[in-house]
Amino acid sequence: MSFLAPTAFAFAAAIPIVILFYLLKRRRVVKLVPSTLLWQRFLAETQASAPFQKLRKNWLLVLQLLLLTLVILALARPFFAGKTAAGRLIVVILDASASMQSTDESPSRFERARREAFDLVNSLHETDQMVVLLASAHTEVRQSPTSNKAALRRALQSCQPTDTPTRLTEALKIAHPLVKDRRDAEIHLYSDGAAPDLTEFEFEGLNVVYHQVGRRALNVGIVSAEARAHPEDPRRRAVFASVFNASSNNVSGELELRFDGTFVETRHVELGPRETSPQVFTVSQEKDGVFTLRLDVADELLVDNEVQLASLMPKPVNVLLVTRSGGYLERALRVVPNLSLTVAEDIADGGANYDVVVIDDVLPSSWPAVNTLAVRSAPTNWVQVTGRVEAPLIVDWKNTHPLLRFVNFDEVQIAEALKVRTPTWAVPLVEAPDTPLVLAGELGRQRVVWIGFDTMQSTWPLRISFPIFVANAIDWLNPASARASQAMVRAGDPIRTPLSGSATNAVVQLPDGTKRTVPIDPGQREFAFADTARQGVYKVDTGDGESWFCVNLLDPAETDTTPKSELRFGRYARALATTLKPANLELWRRLAAAALAVMMFEWWFYHRRTA
Amino acid sequence: MVDTLLSPELLRRLEQLELLARRRAKSSVKGERSSRARGHSVEFADYRSYVAGDDLRYLDWNLYGRLERLFLKLYEEERELPVRIFLDASESMTFGEPVKFDFARQVAGAIGYIALCGFDCVSTVVFPERESDAALRTALRTVRGRKSALAFLRNLAALTAGGPANLNESLRRGALEARHAGLAVVISDFLDPAGYEQGLGALVGRGFQVDVIQVLSPEELEPTAFGDLRLVDSETGAQQEVTFGRHRLAAYRQTVEAYVRKLRDFCRARGASFFLASSATPIDELVLKRLRQAEVVG
Repeated sequence: MSFLAPTAFAFAAAIPIVILFYLLKRRRVVKLVPSTLLWQRFLAETQASAPFQKLRKNWLLVLQLLLLTLVILALARPFFAGKTAAGRLIVVILDASASMQSTDESPSRFERARREAFDLVNSLHETDQMVVLLASAHTEVRQSPTSNKAALRRALQSCQPTDTPTRLTEALKIAHPLVKDRRDAEIHLYSDGAAPDLTEFEFEGLNVVYHQVGRRALNVGIVSAEARAHPEDPRRRAVFASVFNASSNNVSGELELRFDGTFVETRHVELGPRETSPQVFTVSQEKDGVFTLRLDVADELLVDNEVQLASLMPKPVNVLLVTRSGGYLERALRVVPNLSLTVAEDIADGGANYDVVVIDDVLPSSWPAVNTLAVRSAPTNWVQVTGRVEAPLIVDWKNTHPLLRFVNFDEVQIAEALKVRTPTWAVPLVEAPDTPLVLAGELGRQRVVWIGFDTMQSTWPLRISFPIFVANAIDWLNPASARASQAMVRAGDPIRTPLSGSATNAVVQLPDGTKRTVPIDPGQREFAFADTARQGVYKVDTGDGESWFCVNLLDPAETDTTPKSELRFGRYARALATTLKPANLELWRRLAAAALAVMMFEWWFYHRRTA
Repeated sequence: MVDTLLSPELLRRLEQLELLARRRAKSSVKGERSSRARGHSVEFADYRSYVAGDDLRYLDWNLYGRLERLFLKLYEEERELPVRIFLDASESMTFGEPVKFDFARQVAGAIGYIALCGFDCVSTVVFPERESDAALRTALRTVRGRKSALAFLRNLAALTAGGPANLNESLRRGALEARHAGLAVVISDFLDPAGYEQGLGALVGRGFQVDVIQVLSPEELEPTAFGDLRLVDSETGAQQEVTFGRHRLAAYRQTVEAYVRKLRDFCRARGASFFLASSATPIDELVLKRLRQAEVVG
């Protein structure tokens, strides 16, 4: 047997104190009796029949010393280094997402989860092994399998909550190979259940113990926000925001808008239970800057009460249209506002003087190096054409993609399309059963939109969706708008910025003001910074000038802090919140229980003696 | 006062009783008890040869007619039975509910009354000595005759108790002082640290027929005071600390039983009768039932 807290034996100094109390005279009731003769004989006889005369006289002392010894032993926290045949493997997944910063648990959900994880560490056998995973936007392995409790405690202590959304699926996928094929393996998930993506994860009979933290949802937050050019006046900006009340009460507060720290407008917001309120601010903007939306309301999660929005001034976009005929495409391009169009039959210098090149069913002498919209052009390094498809039927399109915003492909017929396989760099936006019809993606730093059929051989240009698509494509391909969208980063996602090639170091200033210098490898064309766990404005200086990025949470699932007592995995499986507490191998609890029993017996014995 | 000590009803019933002596009376005073002495009662005892000077009235003339020899008829001399009552009036007898001394006085009164009604001589030895009621004690020293019974009971009722007693010494002196051995009734709680063996032994050795009546209060037989106690002996002032609870009652009872058993065995070994009585025992139950069953009275 060993002791975790041997210093507690210092309490043994209390033993002489107890004995001292017994050396002191006890207050007795004086009673005059006819004769003490019978009492003397009574005491002599009862003591003579006891095996331990001295001790019997002081049974209370013995009991109290026993009680004290038990308490001291309990404080010293003895434990047995037991040997079991095979240890268990326990994978602890600690949810470190933004919602875990809620203060409905004291001091926060994350600290409560950490405390419970500590209890689990304390209950480990010597042969048990534990893994610590910290799940936020990305899952970090904070401790590989070990039985070393000190290392596990250190790993847990080093975990910090983040401002990022939860991706528990990733954590479970990392845990899965560890516990697979091990009957004695357990996954202990400490979370509030604010994870939207678990249904994608097939449970496969994993032994998941879900420790639910969180008691209530008293939270209001900004779940989406965007700064766009005003549709009617390009010089003005429209700032959109959605405020969500996750609590079951009516909540009111103030929504404040600032631009580069200067107050712009405040608005009173009243929300019913679980109600979302859209808000639009119209602001005139003279320069590039950051809009800050701050929600002033008393709730238990602060992280989602503030959002920073990067807003860049609109710039005219230079577009080169490479075409033989012009036609509908040229007309559609000409109605796009703030666009300078040049029409040519071939590309010179790779289109370096233009922001966007549009290739309309021609084979240029050189392929453009800038962002490109290609219609029925098939360079082999972009897509691999395997054939042709007659009258392909449009079966699906991704209307959530910015390119297909307000775009509808109903009643669009196509005469013929190139049959290609979806390349790795692109996502299919419009699909026929045999081939993708519209692809979009990034090749290195170059954005490409590829249309696999001749628009003139389809009914699409006759539909209203065609000019909208062209306008969306130019907006998406415009490097300035791409730059603006890159400046908006979700917490946990990496910051990316292009490099000119001469920089050797990048200095990143975090939202709290600390600066971090990151070395850049020679030849690296893009700088990426992944440590975006905290929301706020990140400033990056790569030697080409300072650029800034707004990192925000903007996640309805995190703002909805309602604790879930049940997690669904895949389609059928689910894990209920456990009410079990870790069993402790340490003996102090049993010793404390024994001490309590002895104390109660001593109390009873005392009263029995004197009653 | 007499009424409070013994009720008239009890006195009437006591008049029908007499003390049963297992030995012949040795007193020199005439009474109603048979004795070894020859005298002038109506009970024939023996014959002896006539010698000159004998009273001719006691010659058996019928025998002379048959044998032509002179024989004198001898009759038993009836003497009184000296009854000596040793009454413990020490401080320890003043305790109890009812008070042990009150009960002891009733027992002494009942036995004395029976003896006086039977024309026996009653001598009451009240110990320890007290100056305050010396006259009463002297008056109780020798009482004879039925007509003295009321005075005897009155004096008994007027007695007070107090002070430390030496049981052995009191009994031994009482045994020595008696001119004739007779019936000795010792009424005490027998809670003398010095013991009782020598005193009772002296009485038995002197030839007394000894009846021992131990009087203990209900509190002594079954204490009701519990807790951390400091007990002070009423006679010696000795202190004894004890922590007592209900669970130890059984052990205490065993102690009392052992003490009483020892006294009883001591008495039986010496031919003495022994009675244990709680001071709460009705007096008529003790005298009319238990003493009759034991043939102390009859």
